[in-house]
Amino acid sequence: MSNYPKPDAATLVKIYEKMELIRQNDERAHKVVKAGRIIMPYYSPRGQEVIPSAISVSLTAQDYICTIYRGTHDMLAKGVPLKLLWAELAGRVTGTCKGKGGPMHITHPETGVMVTTGVVGSSMPIANGLAWASQLSGDGRVTIANFGDGAANIGAFHESLNMAALWKLPVIFVCQNNRYAEHTTFANSTAVERIGDRAASYGMPGITIDGNDPDVMYGAAKIAIDRARAGEGPTLIEAMTYRFNGHLLGDDGHYMDKEERQRAIAADPVARLRKRLIDEGALSEADAVRIETDISAQLDEAIEFALQSEYPALDEIRRDVFAHELA
Amino acid sequence: MAYEIILPKIGFSMNEAVFSEWLVADGGTVKEGDPLYAIESDKSTQEIESPASGTLRINAEPGTTYQVGDILGTID
Repeated sequence: MSNYPKPDAATLVKIYEKMELIRQNDERAHKVVKAGRIIMPYYSPRGQEVIPSAISVSLTAQDYICTIYRGTHDMLAKGVPLKLLWAELAGRVTGTCKGKGGPMHITHPETGVMVTTGVVGSSMPIANGLAWASQLSGDGRVTIANFGDGAANIGAFHESLNMAALWKLPVIFVCQNNRYAEHTTFANSTAVERIGDRAASYGMPGITIDGNDPDVMYGAAKIAIDRARAGEGPTLIEAMTYRFNGHLLGDDGHYMDKEERQRAIAADPVARLRKRLIDEGALSEADAVRIETDISAQLDEAIEFALQSEYPALDEIRRDVFAHELA
Repeated sequence: MAYEIILPKIGFSMNEAVFSEWLVADGGTVKEGDPLYAIESDKSTQEIESPASGTLRINAEPGTTYQVGDILGTID
């Protein structure tokens, strides 16, 4: 990994800005739900900020991502507009899916967020389809398939990796190994130690890296993205991370190892990168505060916009289901 | 303007909760983010933080079951 491309100072600041946005967005989601202002199932990505932030700085606006219900970090890093995101979380007509998708199905093709799926393991075959379309049309796009450690034991994982390798699809499989599949530990559900090793079965490169290290995550993603864009085929990246919270808001995570959890929270990747950027002179304390304040103001505006928006009308329920309306 | 304290939906299957206790007395001063009340739902007790800062006005009574969306009190 010492030969990985390294992010320069400006890129690291960009990565940090995305991470801080994800952190604050998560804090607001907890607050708004607990205040009873929005009713939604919420799966916190807190602790996993580095992964999509360090990937997306090497993606274009046209590149695609597929994500899962624990996916607000992936969406925000890719650039989904905050107002539209919050309106969709709140189920309002002004949201990315006109309020009919909700938090588990955020889709925003304009920024390349092609699907958020609630079906564990289904981001991968969908990503293959998008990547195949890019291969056929020659549009030069790459597609990122995000999924968790639990999904790596679903049949679709194996089928998708085989096909992607066979057809040399421009897709990168990013397993965000946060140590828990819902309430089950990785060790209790998976016989191999490293998901990354499985790539060998499909004839593609596979690596297991520290997904909370922005340098390593950036480097690994950059190599895989360049490779996919050059037509050389897919890569499997297992990014090791840790889920700070329980499976979803309301689950206190009592089944999680207390010491391991405390250690992970104490090593918060957002706070760590902020400190490093200041120590290295890439960011001043005043710059960092300005970034935080700007994000906070944007979130105020986005949440207010969402709460002021209307719910979709009942006659909308059958619209947008098929490409051609059945009427 | 009074800020309404609404019973939130925390957890996939929660529709109602038994109100356990207020952690601040009626008329007391509350600060946003500090623990405000406890509820019991899905067999677990949860403390909920105050959604705003101000003076607490209590409606909800311990031991009573409330529906998601019910107003438990206000913060002036």
